[in-house]
Amino acid sequence: MKILICVKQVIDSQAPVTIDESGKWVKYGDSSPFRMNRYDEFAIEEALRIKETLNDVSVDAISVGPPRVSSTVRKAMEMGAEKGIHILTEGDFFITPFEVASTIASYVQTNNYALILTGAMSEDDMNSQVGQVIAEILNRPCATLVMHQEIREDKKEVYVEREIEGGKRECLNLQLPAVLTIQSGINIPRYPSLSNVLRARKAQILTIEATAMNIPAKREHLVALSYPEVSSRGTFIEGSQREKAKELVSILHEKSLI
Amino acid sequence: MKKQIAIIAEHHKESVVSATFEAVSFALELSNLTEAKPVIIVLGKSIKEMAENLSKKTGLDVVGIEGGPLEFYNAEQYKFTLKYYLESIDPEYICMTHTAMGLDLAPGLATRLDASCITAVEGIKSQDGKISFLRSMFGGKLRAEIMPKLKKSVITILPGAWKAQELDPMENGHVDIKAAPSSISTSRTITVKEAEEETLNLDDAEVIVAAGRGIGNEENLHLVKDLAKIFNKSAIGASKAVCDLGWLGYKHQIGMTGRTVSPRLYIACGISGSSQHISGMKDSQIVVSINIDPNAAIFNVSHYCIVEDLATFIPVLLEEFRNFVGTT
Repeated sequence: MKILICVKQVIDSQAPVTIDESGKWVKYGDSSPFRMNRYDEFAIEEALRIKETLNDVSVDAISVGPPRVSSTVRKAMEMGAEKGIHILTEGDFFITPFEVASTIASYVQTNNYALILTGAMSEDDMNSQVGQVIAEILNRPCATLVMHQEIREDKKEVYVEREIEGGKRECLNLQLPAVLTIQSGINIPRYPSLSNVLRARKAQILTIEATAMNIPAKREHLVALSYPEVSSRGTFIEGSQREKAKELVSILHEKSLI
Repeated sequence: MKKQIAIIAEHHKESVVSATFEAVSFALELSNLTEAKPVIIVLGKSIKEMAENLSKKTGLDVVGIEGGPLEFYNAEQYKFTLKYYLESIDPEYICMTHTAMGLDLAPGLATRLDASCITAVEGIKSQDGKISFLRSMFGGKLRAEIMPKLKKSVITILPGAWKAQELDPMENGHVDIKAAPSSISTSRTITVKEAEEETLNLDDAEVIVAAGRGIGNEENLHLVKDLAKIFNKSAIGASKAVCDLGWLGYKHQIGMTGRTVSPRLYIACGISGSSQHISGMKDSQIVVSINIDPNAAIFNVSHYCIVEDLATFIPVLLEEFRNFVGTT
């Protein structure tokens, strides 16, 4: 049984983001702190746990993006993915989830994967779309926000619990092949072992030019990016720590909260 | 036929979830801009009563599609049924809430219907007769304007971005109940399990002190707990990141897939302020945020903002609270 994990490289969520001259994307530089999307780390860990419990499972990782993305594919291999696939795109700008999903689906069509895992969303674009669209293009069932999975012994079906509002869980059975989007918190992602790091360093990443693939046209258009209006910003309390603390206590007292 | 906006209702245990009425508010705003007519679609096993209530509360036409396999929400069943029905009304927009159901359904449905898909929408922009949608990116640090390129769009609406309105319509909408077409599915929803943990009384708390990843490490949690103890009727909240790290249980989680709260005072400690978190606390009466990052998105929804390192600031704040209490 082959498992494919879809990983994305994002800028660290603590890093400042600025809009570029075109107004349509963010300015990235050589020092931008890129790393793997955290949700995808949970997807990799879940795939590796499946591999450790069932016989005859292999795990590959795929990412779509500009050259910088290859370091995230390698990170997935350091965690334990056997094969790394990088679909190389031109330029470093916004790619719609439909385009990413179409690209991955196109790769899957010529490579047989019983299970495709993605993170529940990306920390940068926050669309929560890629997994569901891959599933639809490939005509496979999909479950999102997965907090528990169990592949049946015959490897024909997977039992899934997905997280819904108020801590409740929806329980469903999906026929394989299927797509799952993994919710953060399902497991504790591992740190790469030294032997895996050494193996991954030597391993080749399979790089495919996106232009060589037949990707359908985008379905949405990013018109512009802007900074959220600051009019709703409240009062910044200034001064030393002590002054700020005194001021806050006095404000809360005026509002009869203490 | 007039263009239509289809609103997919969400319900649990035969009761429509309140966010569906926020989707109705969204559809009414969109309807004013496009002249398309909103219609509510509700799918389920036994939905007549819900459909009638929806028509009474909103005055909108309601289509109910009834069938045994629709007992629980299931993406495959919903996509199959909606594709079958939506072909006849050919709506320009199909909208639903950005909940566990909406985000599960919308992208696949859009692909199946050859529609554009825009998720977690917080605003509508209309310019030169063209409609685009506003949504957050980069943890709320940026806002993107996205325009559909296709004739049909599936939109999910971020909970909390629109308010549910008391519409008090003059007359009820028309209710039409149909039988679901039969289908074979590769996915079957068996049941919905209730939350295992006892629920914390976040609803009754007057003050919620919430911890985010910015508290730095688990050991700093006691600072947040000590701060909460200053107030009567207080409770501890958390961002999803903190629950994922195992620092607090999921019953503390505020925001999407967690709880929606509106206490008198919400103190966000080290919370960056993703739209998912903000949707769960933005109706709090007073929001105080403490964060070391002056650009944190949480400051955009805060009344009082303090740029400080929590580990050193909270002990000072606790001292000042104690001094204050001592002098009154």
